[in-house]
Amino acid sequence: MLKVLKKSFAVVAREFQLLWRDSDLRRILFIVSILSLLLFFAVYYTRVLREIPTVVLDLDRTPQSLEMLQSIENCEDLNVVLYSADYKELCEVIEKGEAVVGVVIPENFGRDVAGGKGSKILSVIDGSNMIYANNAVSAVLTVARTHSAELGVKKLIARGVHYTEAQYALMGVVFRDEPWFNSTLNYAVFVVLAMALNVWQQCCTITATYNITGEMGKGSWLQIKALRVSKFLFFFSKSLAHIIGFMLAVIPLYIMAFGIYKMPLRCSPAELLLFTLVFAVSIHGLGTMISALCGDPVDAVRFGMVIALPSFILSGYTWPLEAMPAFVQKAAKFFPQTWFFQGFNLLVFKNPGREVLQPYVFVLMGMACLFYLLSLAAAAVRS
Amino acid sequence: MRQILNIAFYETLHIFRNRILTLMVLVVPLFYAAVIGLAYVEGIFDSIPIGIVDLDHSGLSRELVENFKNSPQFSVREGVENFGELERQVKEGRLKAGVVIPENFERDVTNSRGTEVLVAYDASNLISAYNIRKNALQVINTLNARCAASYLAGTGMTEGEIKSTLDAVSYEYQIWYNPTLNYAVFIFPGILMMIIHQIGMYTAALSVTREKSNNSWVQFLSSPVPPWKIYIGKTLPYCISNLFNYALLLWFSSEFMNINIKGSTYLLVLLGILFVIIVTSIGFFISVHAKTSLQVTRYMLLLSVPLFMISGFTWPKAYMANWVRTFADVLPYTWMAEGIRLAAIKGLGMEFLGKTLKVLSLMAIISVILGAVFTKREKSGSSPKMERI
Repeated sequence: MLKVLKKSFAVVAREFQLLWRDSDLRRILFIVSILSLLLFFAVYYTRVLREIPTVVLDLDRTPQSLEMLQSIENCEDLNVVLYSADYKELCEVIEKGEAVVGVVIPENFGRDVAGGKGSKILSVIDGSNMIYANNAVSAVLTVARTHSAELGVKKLIARGVHYTEAQYALMGVVFRDEPWFNSTLNYAVFVVLAMALNVWQQCCTITATYNITGEMGKGSWLQIKALRVSKFLFFFSKSLAHIIGFMLAVIPLYIMAFGIYKMPLRCSPAELLLFTLVFAVSIHGLGTMISALCGDPVDAVRFGMVIALPSFILSGYTWPLEAMPAFVQKAAKFFPQTWFFQGFNLLVFKNPGREVLQPYVFVLMGMACLFYLLSLAAAAVRS
Repeated sequence: MRQILNIAFYETLHIFRNRILTLMVLVVPLFYAAVIGLAYVEGIFDSIPIGIVDLDHSGLSRELVENFKNSPQFSVREGVENFGELERQVKEGRLKAGVVIPENFERDVTNSRGTEVLVAYDASNLISAYNIRKNALQVINTLNARCAASYLAGTGMTEGEIKSTLDAVSYEYQIWYNPTLNYAVFIFPGILMMIIHQIGMYTAALSVTREKSNNSWVQFLSSPVPPWKIYIGKTLPYCISNLFNYALLLWFSSEFMNINIKGSTYLLVLLGILFVIIVTSIGFFISVHAKTSLQVTRYMLLLSVPLFMISGFTWPKAYMANWVRTFADVLPYTWMAEGIRLAAIKGLGMEFLGKTLKVLSLMAIISVILGAVFTKREKSGSSPKMERI
């Protein structure tokens, strides 16, 4: 037993040495994902999207229209960047992308509102960027509704209704929204670490695809044979070295995200690491299987990336799985990335308990077993 | 000219002799577009699973429940009786949101005392979170308007007076370029340009490393053919195939993803030509300086996520750190992604794309110079070991 352990340790040490000497693999595994995380934090450094650039056209210029303008200016989600002179200019500013929202207060606005006829304001929203557009629609809806209610309340007060009663009569049901698990609707919390993990899993796939193809044509293979290290022990030890490498690469990401950037973590660090380890094993199994099926390292990396690149989109982490067609939802479940990113979301944001997470762990473990078995079969056929 | 055509012919032969390279050049772009397109094809996230805890069980609370049920954006799941159950189901990911109607809801509304409806939603995914917030707000606004109208009618107001009081300022909004707020319209054009960027640059980046691994690059270096002819000959087949893929993917998005590709064909072709020249030339430049195809493959395929993230195509550039913005501005993908949105999605003309076209033209000139000017002296020790492509 001790002899086997010694042999295994020797292969692990050899594999680490090989990984370290291959400067490309070293950089890819240990530097690229950390750089990505830093870059993504810089991209999302404002964290939330406030102060949507807004252009306003006031065709009325009465105290009532100024009051309306004041409501728009007071809205923390909108930032008036220009008071346009005419509609053409307002359109141009939106077309150029200098503003996302355009608000037009019509002529006779003050007269119609004061005269009880009611008036209609027009809002134009650039829908080409949905992150902006969804926020903009909510912001403009709230401003218009609140302002309209305030005017209605004044009218009721003029008819002798008490202020509180008038207010509750027109805005009886208050909408109280409570975002759970990410209470400030912080984009950095939602996307940065997940994207860095996406890059990390791509780096892991690249490394894993070298598991078998890396040994092809190497003279050292004969030496290993001469040392009487079985194929199983050899590849088990190699895989162990890779998986340790994957975990060493992901730990700094977690330290930076949760330790330095103080991202919320609902589960314990040990639970998250354990779950990541299961995924690391399954992604390594997938890479090894590709490595066993391909003739050379370049093809292996290519095939590995054919799966690794779109898998994040299909995982449902950003665009929800429920919004995809049913057959795509089913197909996505064949990728370990889907189970990992779904489970990662549950663990990090919600920590719903072991029972809920068990299926994710079991499926990832099952996939790992299947990939390694297929690798063995493919390697046996090739040899 | 003949020399260039000979090199281009030789390169084309290489592409068709290598099965995987042929697939990369002709099939993979459409394959990627189709796979990713399937994820986004429905484009609108409706029937969001929500639970409603009705603590009032009154006529008005049932009306609110009905309003949520009738909204196509929500799918109300039965059996959520209390707040704890709601919290548990949202935590487990079975529900995306929950609505809590408080006790005495109807009484408080009828007596003009005011009440609060809680809409709690899973904000661990902000795409669904913003959808839920916007749509729930609309449902509650509708109920508010109905209740207010009843109150005003009770005070003896006429229908006209009620309308003018409630709609003192009514509101109409127009969403330009993507009126249904379809996610595919928002994100898919950017992904298509990333596919062209990655495959175009990658295939061109293999053109010289392959020669190096076959030890045939030395023949190009020792021949009397000037570098610029080698560059044009080697990149010509990739330029043509990338341009074909660009047109194919735009057609695909219009035909199968229901994305309305607007704008002038002339502008779209011009953008495509400039972008293809840039990515192919940079790919060739990388290939001249890279050691092996393996090195190119490993690094090149990792670029897509960071380039997409910093381009400003999803998260606006104005909200990024300054140095990231500066960095993004020197990348061709940033400008092409912006250009395709302006030309194809917004349908804008030359007057709005002037700056984008100027920058892309400048980048095309620089990348052509980078590709066409290289030394024909091989550095000692730069010849890689043999590798099979």
